[in-house]
Amino acid sequence: MDSRRDALDGGAMTHIRIANVSKFFGATCALSDVSLEVKSGSILALLGENGAGKSTLIKILSGIYPPDAGRIELDGQPAHFKSLPEAIAAGVVLVPQELRVAGALSVAENMLLGYLPSRRVAGLLPCVDARAMKESARAILGDLDVNIDVDARARDLTFAERQLVVIGRALGHKTRILILDEPTASLERRETERLFTVLRRLRNQGVTIIYISHRLEEVDILADECAVLRDGRLAAMSSAPFERNDLIHAMTGRELDLQAGGARSAGDVRVSVSLPGGALTCRQGEVIGLGGLLGSGATELLRRLFGVRSGRPGERNSEYPRDVPAAIENGVGFVPGERALSLVMALSVRDNIVLPHISAFCTASGRDEQKITAAVVRLMTLLDIRPHNPDMPVRGLSGGNQQKVVFAKWLAGRLDLLLLDEPTNGVDIAAKAHIHRYIADFASSGGAVILSSSDMPELLGLSDCVVALRQGRVVGRVSRDNTYGEASLRALLETAV
Amino acid sequence: MSFLGRWRTNVVNQIPALVLVAMCVASTLMSDRFLSSTNITNVLLQAAVLAVISVGMTFVVIGGGFDLSVGSIVGLSGCVAAEVMLRAGIFAGVVSGIATGAAVGLANGLVIARANVSPFIATLGSMVFVRGLALLMTKGAPVVGDDGLPAGFIWFGTARLFGIPWPVLAAIFIFAIFAWVLHKTAFGTRVFATGGSREAAFLSGVPVRRVTLLVYVICGITAGIAGVMLAARLQSGQPTAGEFYELTAIAAVVLGGAALHGGEGYLYKTMIGVLIMTVLTNSLNLMGVDSYWQRIAIGVVIVAAAAADQLRAKVN
Ligand SMILES: Nc1ncnc2c1ncn2[C@@H]1O[C@H](COP(=O)(O)OP(=O)(O)OP(=O)(O)O)[C@@H](O)[C@H]1O
Ligand SMILES: [Mg+2]
Repeated sequence: MDSRRDALDGGAMTHIRIANVSKFFGATCALSDVSLEVKSGSILALLGENGAGKSTLIKILSGIYPPDAGRIELDGQPAHFKSLPEAIAAGVVLVPQELRVAGALSVAENMLLGYLPSRRVAGLLPCVDARAMKESARAILGDLDVNIDVDARARDLTFAERQLVVIGRALGHKTRILILDEPTASLERRETERLFTVLRRLRNQGVTIIYISHRLEEVDILADECAVLRDGRLAAMSSAPFERNDLIHAMTGRELDLQAGGARSAGDVRVSVSLPGGALTCRQGEVIGLGGLLGSGATELLRRLFGVRSGRPGERNSEYPRDVPAAIENGVGFVPGERALSLVMALSVRDNIVLPHISAFCTASGRDEQKITAAVVRLMTLLDIRPHNPDMPVRGLSGGNQQKVVFAKWLAGRLDLLLLDEPTNGVDIAAKAHIHRYIADFASSGGAVILSSSDMPELLGLSDCVVALRQGRVVGRVSRDNTYGEASLRALLETAV
Repeated sequence: MSFLGRWRTNVVNQIPALVLVAMCVASTLMSDRFLSSTNITNVLLQAAVLAVISVGMTFVVIGGGFDLSVGSIVGLSGCVAAEVMLRAGIFAGVVSGIATGAAVGLANGLVIARANVSPFIATLGSMVFVRGLALLMTKGAPVVGDDGLPAGFIWFGTARLFGIPWPVLAAIFIFAIFAWVLHKTAFGTRVFATGGSREAAFLSGVPVRRVTLLVYVICGITAGIAGVMLAARLQSGQPTAGEFYELTAIAAVVLGGAALHGGEGYLYKTMIGVLIMTVLTNSLNLMGVDSYWQRIAIGVVIVAAAAADQLRAKVN
């Protein structure tokens, strides 16, 4: 055993061999005859459009689904794990795309759930060693250079923080193969860079890493190998340095025009609220960006603009909508950063799309299915939601297609103010270009948009003006003049108040 | 492959109906009385009360909740209906019986939706409370009056239209109305959304608290109707009527394949669950299985149904 390990560490041996793997979900073919090899101690980037089968492949690898056909070998041994714990025991650790944390438990408990350190009270009674647990949790988070209170309840964390906790949980295991499914989807650049530092270190220690992302610039700086899936097949395989256009072509099967936007002119003020440090105003035909680092308060602000009340005293304020139905009635739409918050997974695509405006689709004799079908089919075509099956439960859709359904929901009724929190979270480059194009078109047709995004190029590219937020305070503004750019926004956000 | 996959999914989704058919076939083979018209009528009559309760229970379960108080509501509303009927006539009696159910449902809904008490605890409490109220009100004795309940009311419990007992027709009517509400109206879609994900429903503008409140009111109303129907069949208001009905109704809903975590289900499938429960009891009776063994058999069926539900979730 040990001698083989030595051999592995020494040479670049094949660590993971995936041979002729296929997977079906009912009538959908998610993977078809995929063969792939990953060398020991390397970072493989797994690319592909939404629904290409990336998550399915790594779920098979980590024991969540059995493959319908094909073999998987680790170090030349067949490795068909029957469950996630079995895979973890063998050192194969997955950070899934859909995060799972136990909301009622603390950060430390969540991170060390699988292997809580224990001690014996009075030499007898075994119990959890809380101090050791917090210590290790702190050590791991310190490693990632993140500042999260290990005693905080997981449900009080933001999505990005929860993502860091789940990554930390994976790092705590004795990992031989680390699989990350879109880990940076909602992380800001600083956290992303720290994560990459840790990943590079792990690779140098001999851990094999499979990394899924839609951000090609990350692939350039991180990956050693790159595999592209398209429609469940392996479309391309290449080693660094990568040719970006080739990757895009392999992913989409076509050239991509990533330009977005048309001319637009600002109209009347659509919404204006006063915040500590200044006012936030958005006119019709304008895109206002909210820039901020972890804990900026942008999510909270967007939720309040959508009529969600946090229950804190003194927040009754006529500047904000009374409640969510009132906001929707008033033409406001909200795309939350977390898809689980905006879609009812068990409900069909069709019902999810019409849910916010369901009354408008009903007559005295109940739901007007014809009208619903017409609207849903139009929106599914407009946003290119695949598979084109309105009756499919949303949970069967890939992440990016789910995100398009979230947009479709708001387009089904009157909409003149769109609140976006990480709108392209987990969306592939083609869909991202589509969504950017849509946001720009919506603004040129007179809609108002308030956008929060941790993806700075996206934020700056789409916005007419970016308001810098820190803990709910306006700390500055970058407008489209000669200083407009990442540097000046960063300067605002990172200097002390 | 894809054809096989779809076929397998379809078969698994129809397991309850297949079980029902298999049970009917088995009962027919084992007892020649099973298919007699007296027995069929009997099965349908028993199923009618359970069916009406289970209609409301399906709303609550799909809405992500749970209601243990329906059995007690059946008892209380039957007694209230009988008591009022003896003084103020049939119509007033029936209305007040149903209103009693609605009031208990409203109380359940307020405690759960406004005070955020878990449905299990809230309805466990009202199950005991309401039963106590029924016993207190009647001092534990059946409500029959000096010359029995009004003849028109008793007629409803025994008469037939084209050979079908009136309670069965009433159950079918109620099923049809609520199937429309659940599957064809905006409110029904909101119930599914609320049960599927409260947070997502809330952010889609669904008034989740109001929806939660209303499903408990609906459940109270149907339990109230069932109580009145049972009083007509028993020709009296029985304070202990409907004991264990909450469990049978929940079992029927689960047997029909509605997910206990909410957001999924069909009303017609609940009706299949109701028939499974009733046919099971009936054929055990016909075969002369004693009542202790019957309970054991029913317990096994409930657990097996939950296991089948897991299988279904997996295949889907
Ligand atoms: N549980 C499921 N039931 C039915 N179909 C599924 C299920 N999971 C995935 N699929 C289908 O399999 C295909 C591949 O999905 P997968 O989630 O692997 O895509 P992905 O490459 O990870 O996409 P994304 O970038 O959007 O996350 C899609 O067509 C999807 O609709
Ligand atoms: Mg995925």
